[in-house]
Amino acid sequence: MSALTFELKAKPDQRLDLSPLTPERLAKLSRKDIEALSIGTTRAKRTVGDTFKIKGKDVENIHFVGTDARCDKIGAGLAGGEITVEGHAGAELGARMKKGKITVKGSCGVLAGASMSGGHIAIGRDAGDQACGVATGDTMGMKGGFVTIGGHAGALLGERMRRGLVVVGGHAGDYAGGRMIAGILVLKRGAGRYAGYGNRRGSLIFMDKPKNILPTYSDCGVMEFDYLRLLELWLREQGTRITLKGRARRLMGDMAVLGKGEMLILA
Amino acid sequence: MAELKVKGITIVETFAEAFPMVGTRIIITAPTAEWADIAARTMTGFATSVIACGAEAGIESKLSKKETPDGRPGVAVLLFTMNADKLQTQLRNRVGQCVLTSPGSACFAGLEGEKKLKLGASLRFFGDGWQMSKVVGGRRYWRIPVMDGEFLCEEKTGMTKKAVGGGNLLVLGKSHKAVLAACTRAVKAIGDVPGVITPFPGGIVRSGSKVGSKYKGQIASTNDAYCPSLKGAVKTELPLGVEAVMEIVIDGLTFDAIHEAMYEGIHAIAHGGAREGVTHITAGNYGGNLGPHHFHLKEIVG
Repeated sequence: MSALTFELKAKPDQRLDLSPLTPERLAKLSRKDIEALSIGTTRAKRTVGDTFKIKGKDVENIHFVGTDARCDKIGAGLAGGEITVEGHAGAELGARMKKGKITVKGSCGVLAGASMSGGHIAIGRDAGDQACGVATGDTMGMKGGFVTIGGHAGALLGERMRRGLVVVGGHAGDYAGGRMIAGILVLKRGAGRYAGYGNRRGSLIFMDKPKNILPTYSDCGVMEFDYLRLLELWLREQGTRITLKGRARRLMGDMAVLGKGEMLILA
Repeated sequence: MAELKVKGITIVETFAEAFPMVGTRIIITAPTAEWADIAARTMTGFATSVIACGAEAGIESKLSKKETPDGRPGVAVLLFTMNADKLQTQLRNRVGQCVLTSPGSACFAGLEGEKKLKLGASLRFFGDGWQMSKVVGGRRYWRIPVMDGEFLCEEKTGMTKKAVGGGNLLVLGKSHKAVLAACTRAVKAIGDVPGVITPFPGGIVRSGSKVGSKYKGQIASTNDAYCPSLKGAVKTELPLGVEAVMEIVIDGLTFDAIHEAMYEGIHAIAHGGAREGVTHITAGNYGGNLGPHHFHLKEIVG
């Protein structure tokens, strides 16, 4: 059975809420029902049928083709199955998702993976601000799962993150890991100012020494971390090419709060 | 004794009687294979029999860097007891005292199992509040600060209730040297079978026991029927020409693993043929009324 494909007919004249287009919500709907789903966000009514050309039948494997930054909430609340975005995604990509996989070939907007609790999001290019942060109305950020960002990440990456693993291939913006409760951020090309601000038990792993380190982080020196080897092998199994080896400088912080978090800077 | 022979060695038509046990597997890694081996040997020391050691344990196999979760050399260890509570206690104490203490070591689950046992979940308290948990790929690991860095330990490991303990082979021969050589060969062959251990020293028992004793409070005593020096005094099971008997006890995660181990063991013993000095291969049982698992030598050889 071929993937259920939604191909954007033309650039939308309003932001779209694509949260109804998940395997769970489409499972029992006919093609006609799907086409009638409302995805508009303004007073001007807009349905799936108005916006997308639909092909294929497999609701467990959904493809979006030609989407842009106005296509919000793709895979929001996803509870299983696979979504592939051959284009860009808007805000709240995979927000509150629990299970399954979302692959985006291009970039995405703000709040990607916000408050997600499981599953895997692979973003090919850049992610906007507050990726893996706190979804609107939630109190905690990402609570589980795995996110890879091929390009750069915006500000407040992993804000109030509770659990989970995020790997950023490029540079992360200011306040990466801000108010982080726990979890792991792997930052291949460093971060902006105030990384790990208010970090309680989270781990920020830097491949290179970051330019700005908060004064509330205390140096514990360089040592071996078997945990980094474990992480490297697991990431490689997931297809993420990375070399962490096992030796790193450990800085504990943020001492302005609990202070049991850390920055591991590969040595 | 019925006459089934392999390379001139008589395979006695009898069976090994074995018992249900609970078991687990853990993986110990270290900076070098030597140190992984030291940690594993220490952890599995004094674990020959549940009668007095509390557990039966041994090294199942050595693992290459490619086979371990952290890419370092490792060892797979199997641990068996008679019930889940004892297994939990033995696991905590042995890993806590022998693996946590070993330089550079880390400890991981080696079995999924139908039930879980605490591993890092109880050892984490050694961290006195400085321990840190990290979830990678849905599995929780504890990082416990220690004097040489960190002890990395997976939170839980699996337990199986389908384990079997007490698979055995008794080897009779004309000389101590011949029996020891044959048994050493058999232990080596059994070592290549996954899912089993031979918990006694070097895998061999020279003091097989019977249940009970003439002395009050002694729950097991020497198996006089198999003691060559008592042939003329007791109801012996030994032909007059037998000079030494040794036993190989096998514990396994499954019935099939023990079956395979006994097959490999018998053929390794028989490899030298009767000319080497081994005369009989037999097995220990209690008449079939105590243990539910029976390993018939004739079927295994066949």
